[in-house]
Amino acid sequence: MTDVAETNKRARFVPGQPDMWAFVLFETLVFTAYFGFYLFYRARSPELFLHSQAQLDLRVGVFNTLVLLLSSWSVARCVQSSRAGAYRAALRDVYITAACAAVFLSSKMFEWARLVRLGDGVDSNDFSTYYFFLTGIHFVHLLIGFVVLGIVVYQLRSPERRSQELVETCATYWHTVDFLWVLIFALLYVVR
Amino acid sequence: MSTVLTPPESAATPPAGPPSGRWHRRVAWHLRHNPKRELWLAWWTLVVFYNLFFPMFFVVAQVQPPPQPSWDLATQVHWFHERHLGIPIGFGIIFAIAGMTAVNNALIAYSMRRMSTSRAFGYAYLLIYSLSAIPGLLLLCIALIVGTLRPERDPKVIGWLYDFAFLSFDGTMGVFLIGSLIWMVAILIDKNRVFPKWFGYLNLCNALTEVVVAPCWIFQRGVLAWNGQIAWWLDMVVFGVYQVTFVVMLFQMIRREDFGTGPLPDLPRKNT
Repeated sequence: MTDVAETNKRARFVPGQPDMWAFVLFETLVFTAYFGFYLFYRARSPELFLHSQAQLDLRVGVFNTLVLLLSSWSVARCVQSSRAGAYRAALRDVYITAACAAVFLSSKMFEWARLVRLGDGVDSNDFSTYYFFLTGIHFVHLLIGFVVLGIVVYQLRSPERRSQELVETCATYWHTVDFLWVLIFALLYVVR
Repeated sequence: MSTVLTPPESAATPPAGPPSGRWHRRVAWHLRHNPKRELWLAWWTLVVFYNLFFPMFFVVAQVQPPPQPSWDLATQVHWFHERHLGIPIGFGIIFAIAGMTAVNNALIAYSMRRMSTSRAFGYAYLLIYSLSAIPGLLLLCIALIVGTLRPERDPKVIGWLYDFAFLSFDGTMGVFLIGSLIWMVAILIDKNRVFPKWFGYLNLCNALTEVVVAPCWIFQRGVLAWNGQIAWWLDMVVFGVYQVTFVVMLFQMIRREDFGTGPLPDLPRKNT
């Protein structure tokens, strides 16, 4: 293979199935619409949103973000290990990712319970509606992420399967979930 | 392994191809000899159904986009009165064509039968979509026609029909969600390349936007109400993209169909 062909191949390389990137693009567009509606409503009643945002605990948001970033790092390590043929290490990294996801989900449920105890339900005001909606739909994505991680474990456990393309496709899904959370965190917790 | 089945006698010794010349001769040839005529009939039924479905709901009956959930009883009664002709005519036509959904579902189930996956996917899809037509289509039509044609009833009953119609229509997307997920899984694990994998992921996107319609049971105003920007407008945009895509995907599947059991062949590339 010539150098030019090698360069072209590298330039065209995307991790996993290229089809998964269609999902990433489409979900990004859908979430952009969600964020657009949030910002529109926020601009209509900035005081209400500021007051309601003050009820959120920024430390919990930061903790959740760090946990998910850690999960993204571990899934990236999983891909690297799998590429290098170190399947035991790859499996260990998937389990770390799943553990981080479980911590995130538990933390999120505690946060919801705390807010409901304080009287901030899903229909208390526009901010609460958005808060529960955005974190809720992200929660659903994360639950699907557990299935996705299960597929990675299934692939890595048996030498007959071990599709590197599928492992990378699943990792791409996981990074998408993480990326969406970073945007949700910024909008709900940080932007004031 | 690919086993090519011998088509029934109508296609046993067909002419080499459709005759050139006048269009009615070509149509007659396809009706008599084209081995894919049943599939094309099902696909055209799908196209005709959706080309009637949307105008009936949006233009003739004018029940979509949905009205405000928070209107008072007098406004709801007035809303029915304004549509005393449109709803019976529009939904009369919907009742007449509702049976076409069975053909649509059958074509989608056929696509799963053509895959390398278990036939259980196709059967599950057929079953769940047969059930979903009741809350997702027929109950809305029945409730709104009753409300329109019995204007002398107590306004509270009319108001109940109003809520019942739109909540059954928008609030029961879960069955469609499961159907989308079944199709998605079948596409993703299929080895016969019936559909591209990105279409499987698009099914997931569609299913995820149907999740967000469920809160319409709780909200009477705002983005998550049954006429809200997220629960209805955005969902409709995604559904529209999904719908056009799956009609095109089924069209391509029929063009590529070889009535075998192995991978679907690609279409020959056009010479440039």
